[in-house]
Amino acid sequence: MSDKTDVKLRLNNSELWGGLIGLALGAFVIWSGLKLKLGTINDPGSGYVLFYTGILMCVFAISIIVAAVTEGGPTFASRWENARWGKPVLVIVCLAAFAFALEPLGFLLSAIPLMLLLLRVIDPVRWSLAIPLSILAPLGMWWVLKHLLAIQLPSGLFEIG
Amino acid sequence: MDTLVNVAHGLGVALLPVNLLYCFIGVFIGTLVGVLPGIGPISAMSLLLPVTLSGTPESGIIMMAGIYYGSMYGGSTTSILVNIPGEAASVVTCIDGHQMAKQGRAGPALGISAFGSFIAGTFSLVALMLVAPSLASVAIAFGPAEYFGLMVLGLVVLTFLTQGSMAKALLMACIGVVLGLVGLDSITAQPRLTFGRIELIDGIGLVPVVMGLFGVAEVLLNTEQAIKRDIIKTKITQLLPSKEDWKASGGPVARGTVLGFFLGILPGGGAVVASFASYALEKRLSKHPERFGHGAIEGVAGPESANNSAAGGAFIPLMTLGIPPNVVMALLLGAFVIHGLQPGPLMISQNPTLFWGIVASMYIGNLMLLVLNLPMIGMWVQLLRLPYNVLFPLIILFTIIGVYCSSNNVFDVHVMIAFGVIGYFMRKLGYEPAPLVLAFVLGPMLENNLRKSLILSQGDLMTFVERPISAICLAFALALLVGPLLPSLRRKRELVALDEGA
Repeated sequence: MSDKTDVKLRLNNSELWGGLIGLALGAFVIWSGLKLKLGTINDPGSGYVLFYTGILMCVFAISIIVAAVTEGGPTFASRWENARWGKPVLVIVCLAAFAFALEPLGFLLSAIPLMLLLLRVIDPVRWSLAIPLSILAPLGMWWVLKHLLAIQLPSGLFEIG
Repeated sequence: MDTLVNVAHGLGVALLPVNLLYCFIGVFIGTLVGVLPGIGPISAMSLLLPVTLSGTPESGIIMMAGIYYGSMYGGSTTSILVNIPGEAASVVTCIDGHQMAKQGRAGPALGISAFGSFIAGTFSLVALMLVAPSLASVAIAFGPAEYFGLMVLGLVVLTFLTQGSMAKALLMACIGVVLGLVGLDSITAQPRLTFGRIELIDGIGLVPVVMGLFGVAEVLLNTEQAIKRDIIKTKITQLLPSKEDWKASGGPVARGTVLGFFLGILPGGGAVVASFASYALEKRLSKHPERFGHGAIEGVAGPESANNSAAGGAFIPLMTLGIPPNVVMALLLGAFVIHGLQPGPLMISQNPTLFWGIVASMYIGNLMLLVLNLPMIGMWVQLLRLPYNVLFPLIILFTIIGVYCSSNNVFDVHVMIAFGVIGYFMRKLGYEPAPLVLAFVLGPMLENNLRKSLILSQGDLMTFVERPISAICLAFALALLVGPLLPSLRRKRELVALDEGA
């Protein structure tokens, strides 16, 4: 058994962690169902389906955990083997920053830097194309939505757009 | 006779200039996403779901349907010319289609694929027109127990057919049900899993969830790899298949059409399963199975006909029972719901204009696709050269705007980004998003029908067993759940397992 792809009871067994997250979610759903009241079988309450779905989640998660422990599973490293993992991480960071900036800065001030970053992060586009595209695409979208479809995108604290 | 009158009425709706335009936009975008590897019909439909709000329900649904069956046509172009499936249902076409292209027979491969798709699409529409009204009249008698049984079966079949571990797929389906239940309880009006957020009172929106799981996650996954394309450089000539080609393809087209239609109707099935099943069938029936994999035209004609026929067949459970058999149909159900419509047994009688208009538009769309995919093949080949480093940022921009426009709410943009990141990690860890999305759509209906059944039967669980349709569905679902425990059935499941996400 190579320590790279098929580890069993080790902390870097990705299957084990997937199952544990599923188990935690299942336990939370059971607790939520109980909190919402189950009702009776004649008159099921708001938490009835949640409670039983939570139980099913725990059962499936436990079977994933058992399979991970008995049969082993790929390590986290092997899941990202030969992949340029830094690229999606950068895109996620850009998207998270955009999500925080959208409301205070407005669509235009947040989308233009986002586009520029994405164009330069994913297989960098040359600056002479990236700059005009990152300005024109959000601006064009904003114009079409505002003037043709009468949809107001967030304008932010500076009321730009 | 009634059917002919209804078809004429439907043609009147479908031929309205605005509906023709939406139909054209749908099939054009469908072909486009079919041609471009990395973006499938699910991503495109989720991106355009908010656009359906701007027109009438007919126009919106006509466009969404066009994207689905259009992508079935477009997918074959990439498979044949580049050896990369444009979407999941065209994976099989790569095997013999690309070999034909390498042997200088890209034209006949593309031609038979387009003609086979057209014939299959036409057959499935005629069958849809004949089967749907009769099934709808039977479905009126369905009670909550029958609906519950059918929905459970649909979810179990999809999890059975999903790639990888079945326990993972079932866990995803359960998470989908839970996410679908977020918001006010439809019976007691009690808020559930809202964490005090006012935005969650109405539940989580389908648009941000789907756009995140399929649109954003797809882009994140694609950024990991430098996509290399080996496009056939020779000029594509002789798109019309020869007499010999037709002789070899006639049987596979006919068999693929019938097989695809019935597999399309089955919950959880669809175009991907149909294309694989057709390829296996043709190889088994062939007198020279050794030709398969080396450029046999039957290996292109059968699967391409099957996936188009299945696309038509998949409309039957949605239109007659209101149950989406796969994720694409779940999105279409979302489009109906956005317009305040509920597909089901009463839709054909209460909204004949909508039903027959959509069916007639699908025929017109098939004609448009034939024109788009044969004389204009050169344009699609050029599109294959579009740089992905420009395309992906634009897709992200479209998803952000699409989600915002669907609700005018920044919260939904946050939800989409969150689901995009979750979807990326899910796929990396081998958890497919398709069961989650189908369960997310079916979850509230499933709960409603379960609770109604229990209330009506005064808590007697035998109600699910005493009613034959519900009993058959639940027994079949149970067999599929238990089946993979047997090694021979597990191997069979692995053979037919599909990747809906593509």
